Amino acid sequence: MPANDHYVIIGNGPAGNHAASTLRDKDKDAKITIVSDEAIPFYYKPRLTRYILDEIDAKDLMVKQLSSYSDSGIRLRLGQPVDRIDPDSKTVFLHHKEEIHYTKLIIATGSRARVLPTMRSYSDCLKFISSYDQVMEYKDDIKQAKRFFIFGGDLVAFTFVRLLSKMNKQVSLLIYPNAFWPFNLNEEMEAAIAQSLKGLSVDLLVKDDIKAIAESGNGYRVRTTKGKELNVDMVFSFNGLIPSVEFARGCGLDIDHGILVSETMQTNIPDIYACGSCAQIYNPDINTYTTSIGWPNAVAQGEVAAMNLLGDHKVIESAGRKYFDLEGVKVKTTWWEDIEERA
Amino acid sequence: MKDINIVIEICGSAGEGTISAGEILSRFMSSQGYEIMSFDSYPAEIRGFGKCVAHTRISSSVINSPGKLADVLIALNDGHSISQLSALKKGGILIYDSQPAKPHEEDKSVLGWADPSVVSYGVPLAMLAQKAAGNLRGRNMVALGAIAALFDLDREGFTDSIKARYAKKKQIVIDSNVNSFLEGFDWTKDHIEKKDTFTFDGVSLEPRGEKLIINGNQLVAQAALDADLKFYAGYPITPATKIMEILSKELPGYGGTLLQTEDEISAIGAVVGAGYGGIRAMTATSGPGFALMTEFTGLSVMAEVPAVIVDSQRGGPSTGIPTKTEQSDFNAALYSGTGDCPRVVLAPTDTASCYDATVLGLYLAEKYQTLVVILLDFFLSNSIRNIDTPKKPGPQMLNANVNPTEEDLKDYKRYKFTDDGISPRAIPGTPGGISFYTGLEHDERGRPDYSDKGHLAMSEKRYRKHASVLKEAPAPVISDFDGDRADIGVISWGSSAGAAHEAVATAKKEGINAASFSSVMLYPFPDEALIEFAGRCDNILIPELNFQGQFADYAQGVIKREVTRLNFITGRPMAAEDILDKMREM
Repeated sequence: MPANDHYVIIGNGPAGNHAASTLRDKDKDAKITIVSDEAIPFYYKPRLTRYILDEIDAKDLMVKQLSSYSDSGIRLRLGQPVDRIDPDSKTVFLHHKEEIHYTKLIIATGSRARVLPTMRSYSDCLKFISSYDQVMEYKDDIKQAKRFFIFGGDLVAFTFVRLLSKMNKQVSLLIYPNAFWPFNLNEEMEAAIAQSLKGLSVDLLVKDDIKAIAESGNGYRVRTTKGKELNVDMVFSFNGLIPSVEFARGCGLDIDHGILVSETMQTNIPDIYACGSCAQIYNPDINTYTTSIGWPNAVAQGEVAAMNLLGDHKVIESAGRKYFDLEGVKVKTTWWEDIEERA
Repeated sequence: MKDINIVIEICGSAGEGTISAGEILSRFMSSQGYEIMSFDSYPAEIRGFGKCVAHTRISSSVINSPGKLADVLIALNDGHSISQLSALKKGGILIYDSQPAKPHEEDKSVLGWADPSVVSYGVPLAMLAQKAAGNLRGRNMVALGAIAALFDLDREGFTDSIKARYAKKKQIVIDSNVNSFLEGFDWTKDHIEKKDTFTFDGVSLEPRGEKLIINGNQLVAQAALDADLKFYAGYPITPATKIMEILSKELPGYGGTLLQTEDEISAIGAVVGAGYGGIRAMTATSGPGFALMTEFTGLSVMAEVPAVIVDSQRGGPSTGIPTKTEQSDFNAALYSGTGDCPRVVLAPTDTASCYDATVLGLYLAEKYQTLVVILLDFFLSNSIRNIDTPKKPGPQMLNANVNPTEEDLKDYKRYKFTDDGISPRAIPGTPGGISFYTGLEHDERGRPDYSDKGHLAMSEKRYRKHASVLKEAPAPVISDFDGDRADIGVISWGSSAGAAHEAVATAKKEGINAASFSSVMLYPFPDEALIEFAGRCDNILIPELNFQGQFADYAQGVIKREVTRLNFITGRPMAAEDILDKMREM
């Protein structure tokens, strides 16, 4: 590679950072830039719940010292959202109207909280835990609040519920079997969840749904289809994530929910790669594109994208890491395997 | 009680209203009861688009130096602000134009170069200015609105400060500036979520009364008027021009005359001429002009004619660096010219003392019939402080001429030998006071005398004035010692003195046993006090803004010891942090 190559990575999560460090290991001379819309340095997103409830402090949230970037010659641009990219001129257009030119691009923008279509009319009432900036807005409110309504349910939700319960908060948890992201809730898991929540002051609601949420005093009134009425201080939605790829739409990249990539993390446009939960990876076994979540998967994909960007031909393990440990129960993290099994 | 100490820098291009915005910020914060010290740097070129920085330190307690690094950088111009990022603290706050009129090329935006630790706020400065006033000129006011909203400052009070700044302008100018400010304020309140932790909340300020917001040049001019200056001759030069500009408007109203000459040689010639005529006279210049004046400075000393030169130092020899500050005219002020040429040199140590030094300089020149040089520098000339209104000089300071008695006039000797070196001076026209003035060595009557005895006696007479001057000089400022001795003694002069005293105060809080010494009187210097101070200090540190360590050379000659020097010539003023860092190393 010529010394003046400029590798631009959009996204400052595990995929983006591991892509950057892999690139630096293999190419000492290239210019490497990480661009992130978040103003906070690389942090452990799975630890956000513990951080906002003061279980850990800020240093435990951070993955790297900022100096490690300058030490390794990686330029970190924080708080600089990308408006769009132009593959023809190989340009990334930043929101503050700066144009960055790349020779090769890796998109690793991750994902953001999903709002269920049926819940969009209540979105002003809902809180999410999917980014640092988001949770910092209501960190103090969480401490003050006494009654919580949590619905949906994904892996982060359970940590949150357990922590709230430890703080003697009143928690009502409504599990959506069909929205239990990224996989569907089966009876085995439901039983495991009930078991894991036993002994905690959690009011578990199953096979119910939200009929309405309305503001009430300083909090909210939640009514369910089974006629339950709950007055709570805060309502949290945990209904999975959707890839953060809006900026990439319309530039010629093939995008479904996420950016479609081959097993080598290559997009349909030369010199552009995507990895992490913003990408949907082609699975030849089922001939479709699937998303895998979780820190280890993102790390593995970031490395593969970087290696292939440099000319290698590595293939990502199609199912990624298959299992998460959910409250003592091993659960699959890849929904395509359910498809596979059904087939 | 919560203590506020914050440095805000506004960086833009010439013509973008950078300096005006800084001035309004200072005016407003002063009106809220804060101590302020602000300093502008701008390009040397009279026209053009060079970099301007308005640097303002705001504090709830007394401050003596401008602060080294900024807590907040407001970028009105991305190109210039990129280089200013190095002066922004880690974790500082950056306010930038999020929607500039034109896209930035790669690496041409200030946000792109901001340290990842910086908290940045994008505000559409250009867009909001356009909306408020139909043009982009109000970007500076939009930025002020943003900072006021972020820090929850008084919206109406700020508006009043803007109106006061543009009070002499047309209503449309006032309205467009106020509207731009309000647009920036309201937009920021509505759209920006505060991510930094800085706040002015919880500060309890002591009532400070009415304050004068003023810089050193303005105080020199005001002091000259209050001290009954009657003649000023000068040639414009940065950074002293403002003194002449003010006096050109004000001096006639005080019954005086201002003469703009064709160059600095003529200016000092006219001043010496006026002094000969018994009229209080002065000029103001900078290093290059002072160099031209040296011929006449010798005449002032030799002929014993009062003359006052204000030398506002700037960077480098020759034309040098016109708009950067330095303290490199120390040697020139003390020793320029030919022969043994004793004069008086005063160097104010802060903005307020520019007033006192000017009053004292005019007094000493008249009483001791000699040359007085008042050494300011670019920083002192231009930095703005909010100070108490100076006390006007009493009548004893307004007429210091030592007139001859009737007995003297019976056999008048213009250069009569006296114990204090002061010969009674008959103003031309005084009956019986016929005098001979000459640049030649002379006898008591002023007639040429080249004899060795005559030259020695007259040299001794001229130098005897120094001992007398010292008795009237302001005492050195010496900090308290913790015990009998200090590990480090910091000796300073001129504009670096404030930083030195502040550094020592901070060092003491850190457990460093230190003391500080500064003197407005540079020549003759209070050597005895210096020797006594140095004798109580194990190590001596002398910070000054010149390459050589000009004052350090002088001090070493007096105290007969090596000193540690802190010299830099970056063009920015000395900050307490610079000195403190050096002290920690020692």
